[in-house]
Amino acid sequence: MTETIVEMRHITKRFPGIIANDDINLSIGKGEIFALLGENGAGKSTLMSMLFGLYEPDEGEFLVRGQPVRIDSPNQAVALDIGMVHQHFQLVSNFTVTENIIMGVETVKRRLGIFPAVDLKNSENKVAALSEQYGLEVDPRAVIDDLQISERQRVEILKMLYRNAEILIFDEPTAVLTPQEIQFLLQIIRNLRDNGKTVILITHKLDEIKQVADRCAILNRGRLIAVRDVRTTSTQEMARLMVGHDIAFTLAKKPAQFGEEILRVDKLTVENEEKYEALRQVSFSVHRGEIYALAGVAGNGQVELADAICGLLQAKSGRVYFRQTDITQESVRTRNLRGLSYIPEDRQSVGLILDFSLQDNLVMKRYYQPGFRKGLWINREHWQSYAKRLSQAYDIRSANGIQTIVRSMSGGNQQKVIIAREIDQDSDLQIYVQPTRGLDIGAITSIREKLIQERDHGKAILLISLELDEIMACADTIGVLYHGSLQTEAPAGQLDLETVGAYMMGAKHE
Amino acid sequence: MSKHMGKKPGWFLRLLGYKKTQFLTIPLFSIFCSLLAIAVLILLIGKNPLTAFQSLLQGSGWLPKPNYAAGKSILTDLLDMLDAYTPMLFASLAVALAFKAGLFNIGVSGQMLLAGFAATVLVGYQDFPAGLAKPLVVLLGFICGSLVGALIGFLKYRFNVNEVVSSIMLNYIIQYVVGFFIQTRYVDVVSRQSRAIKAAARLTLVDVAWGNMKLRLPLLFIPALLVAVLLYFYLKSTVGGYELKAVGLNRQAARYAGIKVGKRLVSSMTLSGGLAGLAGVTYYLGYYASIKPNELAALGFDSIAVSLLGNSHPLGIIFSSLLITSLDKGSTYMNSTVGVRQEVSSLVTGMILLFSACSAYMRYKVDASLRLALAGFAGTAAALPQQDSADGSGKGGKKA
Repeated sequence: MTETIVEMRHITKRFPGIIANDDINLSIGKGEIFALLGENGAGKSTLMSMLFGLYEPDEGEFLVRGQPVRIDSPNQAVALDIGMVHQHFQLVSNFTVTENIIMGVETVKRRLGIFPAVDLKNSENKVAALSEQYGLEVDPRAVIDDLQISERQRVEILKMLYRNAEILIFDEPTAVLTPQEIQFLLQIIRNLRDNGKTVILITHKLDEIKQVADRCAILNRGRLIAVRDVRTTSTQEMARLMVGHDIAFTLAKKPAQFGEEILRVDKLTVENEEKYEALRQVSFSVHRGEIYALAGVAGNGQVELADAICGLLQAKSGRVYFRQTDITQESVRTRNLRGLSYIPEDRQSVGLILDFSLQDNLVMKRYYQPGFRKGLWINREHWQSYAKRLSQAYDIRSANGIQTIVRSMSGGNQQKVIIAREIDQDSDLQIYVQPTRGLDIGAITSIREKLIQERDHGKAILLISLELDEIMACADTIGVLYHGSLQTEAPAGQLDLETVGAYMMGAKHE
Repeated sequence: MSKHMGKKPGWFLRLLGYKKTQFLTIPLFSIFCSLLAIAVLILLIGKNPLTAFQSLLQGSGWLPKPNYAAGKSILTDLLDMLDAYTPMLFASLAVALAFKAGLFNIGVSGQMLLAGFAATVLVGYQDFPAGLAKPLVVLLGFICGSLVGALIGFLKYRFNVNEVVSSIMLNYIIQYVVGFFIQTRYVDVVSRQSRAIKAAARLTLVDVAWGNMKLRLPLLFIPALLVAVLLYFYLKSTVGGYELKAVGLNRQAARYAGIKVGKRLVSSMTLSGGLAGLAGVTYYLGYYASIKPNELAALGFDSIAVSLLGNSHPLGIIFSSLLITSLDKGSTYMNSTVGVRQEVSSLVTGMILLFSACSAYMRYKVDASLRLALAGFAGTAAALPQQDSADGSGKGGKKA
């Protein structure tokens, strides 16, 4: 290591009830790619948010280029040449790339010597030059709305570079990208380092760290566990340090035993709310004992497909059959009663009523059934015992038991609420959309195990995921959606990761 | 941030921050703040605020007046107040019910007027015996109000017309259509209002002799209280109430749970309109016995705020309606005895409502500062819910 650019001394940050960062001491060298590794809630993002001025540490101090600094706002951070790419991009969608980049630091020229105007032309040239230099391939005049997610992310990178950032923080940059795009991004990150920038990478994906990072710091429950040289550390060891114990990378999975056909989708076409055909002529079927996994980049019709099967969206044409019965016109409730469970992608605004208690959320699909009601009245004792049983069986943790307001629970526990509720209905067909998004490794493994367990109990499972790892780990059959149509469909053994990735990008057709 | 650190939070903060009683402490604090502000105002105009407040209570029958006219007593004052209270309670319940379903019924006044007018014409001017007329008035009021509510709900469900827009427009339509009919057909040439209804149809018994006093008995006062209690149990313990709250809190999730959201919206608005209709008949055929043309009852709009002050909780509304009605009824007496103008009571009402509108903000501030104060107290911090902890402390931290 040549020269230290950022140093953290005894950084401690407490939130009520938890210590997010506990006495962290780190030094990051100039010109290296430094990875921060840890499960959800390990304190990576909090630590970086403090470096970027979003929070202030309760104790300890930061040194940037050897000088003690107090970073109390993102502006302060930018002044210190620190930049951050957040998980959620902060772009104005009907502005061009350049307009977004220069916002707040516009250069002004005077028209006719008097009237101030933004000097767009010069800025565009500067943006183009930066894009060229780092291999970002971004058109400075494109409108954000027309750009793909990966391109928008590169606009965010350009935004930092335009402000002369020397220290670039990436918060989970690959979560939304396809395998090919990930490789492209990792190359960009290498370019940044080769141009003398310092890159801090927050992630929990071990293989990416292995590919690009020079050193990595591992956090667990707010404490710094170790700082390792990536070249000399195996991914197994990193994983062990991160979780605190050894974990199995592959799921134990018996060969599938397909039974009768449960779900058949026949030439289904669905329009989304903007009257755009999000799904076109899709046909497939799912059997008992099968995990049918649909891969695809976000926004290629997955959510519309799941919504249409569950009755939340009307089919424009085509049919949906459940155990050979046409259910295309049936209501959500009728489909539920036939045996259809749905874990929606958007758990907070679809899957849960955040201001309801844990108990009220757990009975959401059952409250009207016999036993849960006495005539017009709710059977509160039964609600309580049911909620208690479910929270124990699925290890749902909450501060005030079953009366806890779900909004105050952690994301992982919120997801457990939905999973408990949906699996407990003992439905023949279970649809999981992004069931493990944003969860830590422990929770991910347990959910995937549940999925396979349900399959082994003879349920039909439709798994829709953006995570290729998840698809590869769980699927018996893989289908790939691209632009609303099914690109390919094959038994899991016959497709490898790269091929699925190519289909997801629309690079391959059948 | 550091100035809060490690300091034990004060008793006041702990009192307001205690979750279990917050539903009570925050509104009481709002009321206290507004009374304080008004007291300053009364001082500025050179009067004694304590006597002014005392006269408010005397005027509404809570405290005895120094002397009474013949046939009057504290009881007659109290019953007068309760007569005005009955429609206020119904109207506020109407607002609260719609609010629980995620709808904003700003058209209570219009629904009241239509119900009152229909009952006046169809029953109030006919020669029905009291035993038939009174139930008919109630029934008709409920039906007319619920029809308007149903229309608003239907427009929302079928054509996605914002209920605020449609109910305001319906307010105008009802106001002028009813006004037209009153002025062309049912006008009393002396009072310029609609002709007084027959006593048999009136929901308030006036001039009931009791001892040497003449009392007003609002017949629907007890039923109104019962409706509030019923509504409380409906929301808390019935399947329908569960669905209604689910729709109110998150329509998408309600749909996902298989609830027929459209049906719920229409039925909630219908019921809300029905309650507004009951407010209408107790107002126009109870408290008054005639209708002023081309005018909407201010009570219909006040009820929105009363409902807010009562936290949209049926039992809370029983008390918030009582408070606001008392202030309103006491103001005339305050004007005549203390010389503080009647409008000051409207000011008090306005202030209370303004402060209670800020209650969510107050709750947020109290929770945030309490959390900050407790953050320095590692041991006690765990006892607090972690709601939005990162977010809250971040914002609080910036401020300090």
